[in-house]
Amino acid sequence: MLRTLVQLLGDDAPTFRRYAWMAVAYGVLCGLTITALIPVLTHLLGGEVKEAVPWLAVLLIGVAVCWSWRRYVEQAGVRVGVAILQGARHRLGDHVARLPVGWFTPQNTARLGHVVTQGMMAVAQLPAHVFTPVIAGVVTPAVLVAALFALHWPLGLIALTALPLLAGVLAFTARLSRQADDAFHQHFADASQRVVEFAQAQSVLRAFNGEGGGTRLLEQAIEQQHQSGTRLIWQSAGSAVLNAWAVQAVFAIMLMTAALWMNNYLGGQMVARDLIAIIVALLLVGRFIDSLLEVAGYGEVLRGARGQLDAIRELFAVQPQPEPDEPQTPRDGSIELRDVHFRYTAEEPDVLHGVSLRIAPGSMTALIGESGSGKTTLARLIARFFDVSAGSVLVGGVDVRQMSSAQLAGQISQIFQDNYLFSGSIADNIRLGKPDASDAQLRQAVRQAGVDEIIARLPQGLDTTVGEGGARLSGGERQRIAIARALIKNAPILLVDEATAALDAENQAVIAQALTRLRGQRTLVVIAHQLSTVAMADQIVVLEGGEIVEQGTPTQLRESQGRYAGFLNQRRAAKGWRITSAASDGARV
Amino acid sequence: MSTRDAAAAIPREPGPINQILNPIRGPLIVAAVMAAVGTMLTLAPLAGIAHIAKIVLDAPALGGAWSTEAQGEIWWTAIVSVVSMLVGMALVSAGELTAHQADNRLTRRLRLAATQRLAQVPLGWFTNRASGEVKQAMQDDIATLHSLTAHFYTAVGRAVGAILISVIYLFILDWRMAVVALLPFPGFFLFLRHAMSSSGTNMQEFVARLGRINSATVEFVSGIPVVKAFGASGQAHSGYQEAVDAFAKAFVGFTRPLVATMAHAHAMIAPVTVLGVVLSFGALFTSLGWIAPVDVLPFALVAPGICAPLLLLHTLLHDLGGATGAAQRVLALLETPVLEPLLPDQQQTPAGHEVRFENVGYAYDGGHQALSDVSFTLEPDTVTAIVGSSGSGKSTLARLLLRFFDPSEGRITLGGVDLRHIDTSELYRRIGFVLQEVRLIHASVRDNIALGRPSASQQEIEDAARAAHIHGRILTLPRGYDSIVGEDAQLSGGERQRVSIARAVLLDPPVLVLDEATAAADASNEVAIQDALSRFAQGRTLMIIAHRLDTVMHADYTLVLEDGAIVEQGAHERLLELNGHYARLWELGGYETRKISEEPSC
Repeated sequence: MLRTLVQLLGDDAPTFRRYAWMAVAYGVLCGLTITALIPVLTHLLGGEVKEAVPWLAVLLIGVAVCWSWRRYVEQAGVRVGVAILQGARHRLGDHVARLPVGWFTPQNTARLGHVVTQGMMAVAQLPAHVFTPVIAGVVTPAVLVAALFALHWPLGLIALTALPLLAGVLAFTARLSRQADDAFHQHFADASQRVVEFAQAQSVLRAFNGEGGGTRLLEQAIEQQHQSGTRLIWQSAGSAVLNAWAVQAVFAIMLMTAALWMNNYLGGQMVARDLIAIIVALLLVGRFIDSLLEVAGYGEVLRGARGQLDAIRELFAVQPQPEPDEPQTPRDGSIELRDVHFRYTAEEPDVLHGVSLRIAPGSMTALIGESGSGKTTLARLIARFFDVSAGSVLVGGVDVRQMSSAQLAGQISQIFQDNYLFSGSIADNIRLGKPDASDAQLRQAVRQAGVDEIIARLPQGLDTTVGEGGARLSGGERQRIAIARALIKNAPILLVDEATAALDAENQAVIAQALTRLRGQRTLVVIAHQLSTVAMADQIVVLEGGEIVEQGTPTQLRESQGRYAGFLNQRRAAKGWRITSAASDGARV
Repeated sequence: MSTRDAAAAIPREPGPINQILNPIRGPLIVAAVMAAVGTMLTLAPLAGIAHIAKIVLDAPALGGAWSTEAQGEIWWTAIVSVVSMLVGMALVSAGELTAHQADNRLTRRLRLAATQRLAQVPLGWFTNRASGEVKQAMQDDIATLHSLTAHFYTAVGRAVGAILISVIYLFILDWRMAVVALLPFPGFFLFLRHAMSSSGTNMQEFVARLGRINSATVEFVSGIPVVKAFGASGQAHSGYQEAVDAFAKAFVGFTRPLVATMAHAHAMIAPVTVLGVVLSFGALFTSLGWIAPVDVLPFALVAPGICAPLLLLHTLLHDLGGATGAAQRVLALLETPVLEPLLPDQQQTPAGHEVRFENVGYAYDGGHQALSDVSFTLEPDTVTAIVGSSGSGKSTLARLLLRFFDPSEGRITLGGVDLRHIDTSELYRRIGFVLQEVRLIHASVRDNIALGRPSASQQEIEDAARAAHIHGRILTLPRGYDSIVGEDAQLSGGERQRVSIARAVLLDPPVLVLDEATAAADASNEVAIQDALSRFAQGRTLMIIAHRLDTVMHADYTLVLEDGAIVEQGAHERLLELNGHYARLWELGGYETRKISEEPSC
C-alpha cells in the first residue's frame, strides 16, 4: 500500500516521508507526555502533592508541545493531500496520455475517470483523516511499553509480546476480510452487470416478457448477491469484531496479572510504593489498550483505502507505448506490413498471423472480409493503436515504433467509429485537425464533409457550441464534423472504416465523394462496406481468419472466381428483399 | 435510562432515510441498544482498576489482618471486570451481526422492489437515461445505504454508550472533578463551529472547482484517442492540467483556514490534553483537600477515553449527508411513475393485424417535435419501408409502434384497437421486432432464443434457429445451445443479429418491425440475415426502417420522412419519377445498380 502511494507521489514522495516522520514524532511525543504522568501520579497517590508539582509542569509542557506539533503534522498531511490532488493527478494524466489508443475502451475510460476524480480525492484525504491517528495509535503504545517495563516488568513483557501478536491478528483479519471483499465484489459486479443489462435491454426484455421472464435473470442475480452477502456477514463483520476481541483479551490478561501480583504483595510484605507502581502501570495499560482499540477500529477504513490505491496501481501498471530516442522521419505515404502477428492479450489467440502487405503511396486499398477477419485490427495497427506482437508495420518506409507519435499522427488521417467532440464550437472541433488552418481551408472542409447543411440550421453557425462530448448534436451530425476534422488535416494517408462506422446515407455519400476526390493524391486504406467503394480500389485485400486470402485488382479478383467473386454474388443477392419472389431468390444463393 | 437515550438519539435523521429504513427499524434499534449496553460493559475494567486502587490504597497499612478480605475483593473486582468486558464484547458482536443481517435483508428487498417497479415504467424512461444511472441507484446507492444500516446504528450505539456511561460514572464520583475533566470537550465543539463558519465562504468556490475538474477529466479521458490521432496532445491535456491546478488551488484555499482550527480542535480533546487537565485539577483539589488523591484515578482512567467515540460520532454524523443523497435517489427510483395499469374493462382484443397511424405526433421532453401529423396504414401481408435522412423521425415511428413511448397526439391502432388499450404481453405477441442494436443477454444461447417463451421445447427453439440460419453456427459452439453469450459463445455482429431474429421467430408475431436490421452486418452475414428475414417475413405485415435504399427498393410501399412528416409515398419506381426527396436520397446513396448488373454474373 505504501509502495503504491510512494509511486503515486513520484517526486513528491519526500513530502510524504516528512509527514510520516512528523506523525511518528507526534506519537512519540504523546507517549512521552503520558509517561510523565508516572511521577505525577506516584507522588500524588503517595500523598506528596508538592513533589508532584514540578512533574505536573513537565506534563503540561508536554501537552503544549503535543498541541502545537499536532498542527504541523496536520499541515504536512494537507501538503501530502495537495501533492496527490495536483502532482499525482498530473502524473496519472501524463501516464495515460502515453498509453496506446487501443487501451481506451469504454470500460477503461470509465475506470480512469473514476480514479482521477473520486479515487484521488479519497486518497488525498487519507493522511489527515486516517494515517495520523493510525500512526500515532501504533507509536504511542510502543513508547508506553518501555514505560511499563520500568514500572512493572511483567506487565511490560506482556505488552511487548502482545504487540507482534496483535499485528498478526490484524494481518490475519485483513486477509480474511480481503477474501470476503473480493468474493462480495465479484457478486456485486455480476449483479451490477445484470442491472445495466436490465436497463439497456429493457425493450427486448419487456417485449419478450410473455411468461414473466423479463425480470427473472435480474432477480436471480439479486438473490445470489443476497446469499453471498449472508455468507460473508460472518466473515467480514467477524473480522472487524475479532480485532477488538484480541485487544480486549490482552487487556484482560494484563488486568488479571496485575491482580495476581497485588494479591501476592498483600499476602506477603507490602510496600506502598510497589502497589502504587502497579496502579499507575494499570493506568498506562488503559492508555495502551485505548490506542490499540482506535487502530483496530480503522481496519475497515484502511481496507477501503487499499482498494482505491489498488485501482491506481493497476492504471500505472499499464505499459505506455515506448517512444524512440532518435525518431526517424517517414519518407512518403507508403504503408508496409511485414509478417505481422497480433494478439490483444497473451491468453487470446492471434487476431492476425503472418500478414504481409505493401501499399504504394497514392494508391487506394479496400480491405474486405467478414467481421472477425482482422481487417479492423489491421487498420488500427497502421495507426499504431497497438504495437504488433511480431513483425513490423512501416509507414513511409519507417517502422511506426521508430517514429514519434506526433510524426505518425501527422502522417495519417482517420475516419473511424470514434467521433468524440470536445466542448467548444463546431469550428474549434474541425480546426483540431489542423490548428493553423486558414478560414478558406475551414470552409472547404465544412463543405466537403456536408457540415454546411448542419450549420445552415443553426443560428450561430460554425460558432455553435457542441456541448460536452458533442451532446447537443445527433450521432450523424457528430460523425460529419469528425469527417470534416479528418479531411481538413489532409495527411498523406487516409484510413476509413466504412463497416463499423454505421454511416447513414448522407455521410456515406460524403465519404464516397471524399474518396473519389482524394484518389490518386493520397494513400487511401478503406475497410470497405460499399460495393462502389470496393470497385474504385486499385487493390483489394480479402482477409479471412487473420490472414490475407486474396489480393489483387478488382478485375483480377473478379476473374479468379475466388472469394471476392463470391462476395459480389452475395452482394447482388442481398440487393433486395420482399416477402414474395425476391426472398426465395435470396435463399438459393 | 441511558440505553433509552442512546436509542432516542438515533432516529433524528432526515426524512428519506427514515422512509427507507422503516422496514428494519426494529432490528436496527435492537442492534444499537446491544452495541450501547455492550460498550458500557466493556468499560467496566476501568472502573475495576479504580476500585482495586481504592481497596489497596485506602486499606489500613497494618499487617495481614485485612489482607484476606482485600485479596478476595481484588479478585472479585478483577473477575467481574473481565467477565463484564467479555459479555460486553459478546453483546457488541451480536449487535453488529443483527445490524448486518437486517441490512442484507433490506438491500435485497429494495433491489427487488426497484426491479419490479422498473419493469412497469414506460420504456421511454430507459431511453432518456444512461443505464449507468439505474445501476448507480440500484447498486451503488443501495451499497451506500449499507454503510448506514450496517455500521451507522451500531457505531452510534457504541459511541453514545461509551460517552454516556463515562459521563454518568464521573459525575457520580465527584461532580466538581467531572466538570473540569469534561471541560475540553465543549471546547472541541467551539473550535468546530469556528472551522465550519470559516470554511463556508470558500465552500462554493471549492464545489465549483470540483465540478470543473470532473468534466475536464471526462473530456480528457474520452478525448485522448482523438487527440492522439491528430497529434495535438495539447488541447485536452492542457484543459485537464489547468483544471487540476485550479482545483488544487481551491483545495488549499478551502483547507488552509480549516487546518489550524481543526488541529486545535483535535489537540483539545487528545488524551494527553485531557490527562493534563485532570491531573492539574486533581493536584489542586487534593491540595485543597476537596478529594482524596486516589479519587483522581478514575478521572485519569476514564475521561481520556471519551475522545475516540466523540470523534467517531462526529465523523458518522458527517457521513450521513452522503447517505441522504443516496436514499433520495433510491426513493426516487422506487417512486418512478409507472404506466397506468389497464383496467379490465378497458382491455380490448385486436381484430386482425391492420396497423393504422392516425394523425400521430410526438414531441420529446425538450419540446422537440420529432413527428407531426403522420397518418398511414400498414395493410396486412405487405412490406412498407420508411426512409429519410437521419433525424427525420424514422426510428421514433418504429418506437411508437412498439410502444416504447406513447404518441403525444393522435393514436396508433392494431386491428382497430388503440395500442394503449392492448395488454402489453398481448401487444408483443402480435408485434415482433428486430432492431439494429441487438441486445443479447448474458445467458445461454438457448435462453436468449427462448426469452419470450421460456417454456418452448428444444425442437421449437432449434426450428427457430434454423429459420434464422444460425442453428449450424450454434452447433459449432463449445457447448452448443448451452454456451453462454459473451463467455464461450463469441458471436459476430451478424451472428448476434441472427440469434435475435430466431428470438422473434419463436414468438411468431403477425406484425414485424425491422429497424436497419442489416446495417451492422458484413456481406456474407448480410445475405444470411436477409435470407432469414425474407423467409420470416412471409405472410406477415412488415414495417422496415431503412437507411440504405437499395435494400428496400422492392417494398410494396415506401414512406419518405423529412423533419417528422411524410413528404412522399409510393413504390420505388413512382418515387424516383417524382424526382424529389427520394430521388435525391437514392442518388446520394450511389447505389449504382446499373454498374453492378453490368458486371459478369456467375
